[in-house]
Amino acid sequence: MMVRVRLDLVSFVAGAVLAAGTLPAFAQDAEAGVERARQALAVYQEKPVFKAPAEPFDAKACAKGKRMLSIPNSSANPFLKGIIDRMKLVGKELGLDVVEWENQGQPSQWVQGFEYAIRDKFDIIDLISGIDPATVAPQVKAASDAGVKVMTSHFYDPSDKQSPLVSSSLTIGFNEIGKILGNWAIANTDGKANIILVVSNEVPPTAPLVRGIKSALADNCPDCKIAQEINVGVTEWATKIQPSVQSAVQADPDVNVVIPIYDSMSQFVVPALRLTGKTGSVKVATFNGTPFVLDFISQGVVDMDIGESLDWIAYATIDGHLRDACGLKSPSALNVPFYIFDKNNVADAGSPAKFDTGYGDAYVAGFRKLWGLGAE
Amino acid sequence: MTEAVATRKKPAVNYHRLFERVALVLVWLIIIAVFGAIMPRSFLNWGNFSIMFASYAPAALLALAIIVPLTAGDYDLSVGATLTLSSCVIGVLNVWAGLPILLVVLLALLAGLVVGLVNAFFIVYVRIPSLVVTLGTTSLMTGIVQWMTNSSTIGGIDNALIMAVVGGRLFGVPYAFYYALVAAIAMSYVFDFTPLGRRLLFVGRGREVARLNGIAVDRVRVGALVASGVISAAAGVLYAGVLGSADPYSGLNYLLPAFAAAFLGATTILPGRFNPWGAIVAVYFLATGITGLTMLGIPLWVTNVFNGGALILAVTISQLTRGREASDIG
Repeated sequence: MMVRVRLDLVSFVAGAVLAAGTLPAFAQDAEAGVERARQALAVYQEKPVFKAPAEPFDAKACAKGKRMLSIPNSSANPFLKGIIDRMKLVGKELGLDVVEWENQGQPSQWVQGFEYAIRDKFDIIDLISGIDPATVAPQVKAASDAGVKVMTSHFYDPSDKQSPLVSSSLTIGFNEIGKILGNWAIANTDGKANIILVVSNEVPPTAPLVRGIKSALADNCPDCKIAQEINVGVTEWATKIQPSVQSAVQADPDVNVVIPIYDSMSQFVVPALRLTGKTGSVKVATFNGTPFVLDFISQGVVDMDIGESLDWIAYATIDGHLRDACGLKSPSALNVPFYIFDKNNVADAGSPAKFDTGYGDAYVAGFRKLWGLGAE
Repeated sequence: MTEAVATRKKPAVNYHRLFERVALVLVWLIIIAVFGAIMPRSFLNWGNFSIMFASYAPAALLALAIIVPLTAGDYDLSVGATLTLSSCVIGVLNVWAGLPILLVVLLALLAGLVVGLVNAFFIVYVRIPSLVVTLGTTSLMTGIVQWMTNSSTIGGIDNALIMAVVGGRLFGVPYAFYYALVAAIAMSYVFDFTPLGRRLLFVGRGREVARLNGIAVDRVRVGALVASGVISAAAGVLYAGVLGSADPYSGLNYLLPAFAAAFLGATTILPGRFNPWGAIVAVYFLATGITGLTMLGIPLWVTNVFNGGALILAVTISQLTRGREASDIG
């Protein structure tokens, strides 16, 4: 009996000593993780810098007489509409005729777009942000057979398996966006993030984006956790997000960050936090740079939003697609930098905020030089 | 002997009917008890219920809007689009045009009135089935809303509206809930204690009989459709206040839950009749189920199953207790 008590005592003391020795080490690890997260974010807090995606080429000569039909996921999406409108302007200067196939997001309308492009002898079909080539595979094949090159932009993550039928794809780093969101949560809770994720698994970019968030947490903050992952179909955002977030923050009062991965979701997250009295104490971080969400940052109800310049996307898409159309090597990615808006810089986006404002204009001179055009 | 049988056939209290009247309320209490037993701290607290009462207030008002024309025998499928139109009128006129919020709210209600009149014109005077007309006006309004908002969500609605809807609280419950409650009280009074309510019911039960009895059937139907337009527009005002923004797409998603609540509500309190308290109970019964399931971390597709399953089950039980007699409702 005595022996056992002694043994217990010894193991207790040994345990205490061990704990005393390792605790600071844990603390140091945690601090180092937070520091790594902060460093990873720094690049996205600077005004974006232009990096040439490939060698210079004579874009005007390449574009001469060429026509591109841009088919957006839905013409009702102001983000996509904004990109296409800007592509039309850029294309006009180069001599590339950019036409939008107006649609309401119905696959049958996309199919009609393909038929129109084949019949009217377009050179390029651009599937922009959302139409999965796999859903229109027979049409992609028919277009390719007819000599129309089908390309995608702003759709695939570099890690996605891409359709073998498309001529080229300008990917966007959804995984990178996920990492930014994860690191931001770590850095802004001093390594104590307890997160509610609001996702839409049916949308293809969701998977790489969520993987990015989880990998940032695993790498830089093993103690941070995802309290709940709420999956809501796009058509149900309005009816499901608000009650789900309300329930989730009430079920776990220690939640300190909500990440609605697409920023239009935040219009239903903000009232949920307002009603539960959590505005301000629970941080909201999101992605897309939609103007009304940037206004939410000004109002102090959302904390950060990762944005991309639509105009920059337009330039980069034209650049990549023209290279492919003229037989040059097309870059594999859009290379449009992500930029973090928060309360410190949201005023740069305008009041009320606008798409495309606050990112600087480094890309305009950059692309013009790359294309052999004079200054504007 | 015959008298004795007759007496036995008609007991003083019809327990079947009484049970039917409170069955949904009982089931509601049971699911509260079940979720409460599983999550005593997070589910069974006033904060949880107060927030649920407020956030489902627009849905409750929409369910109330639907039952007015349903009682008169007309469907109004355009209530979801009217809700969206009203909240977007507030967004566009208040945020973009800078008009004062009070005026804008009145204009939003006016928009609802116009929608009701347009529906009524085609349904009552041109005599097109209500289902077709309101499906058409839904699409029409959806297009107009996309045009006027540039398909974008409009944030930054005047804080006064947000404060009036969710800012102030009474017994811990944001005001939004009380607006829906006041509407239910008013409607319940009109339905049960005024000649207008009786006329509405008669028109719904048999137009020709009502007409032969001297009821101005057309006027009653027009009134019901206009009332539904205005109440849905009021739901849109609440919705804009709860969100603090105007979203051009989301309102339509409330259509099915609101219809489910209206029909589910017709199985309780006054079974066999669309009634305001039944609709309110049904909305919060469904809300309780969804909130509890979400708190348990159950995937959201389950909530759709719950919504649909609860509706079918409740209506089935109601039919069985009434010996499968023909329903009074469409």
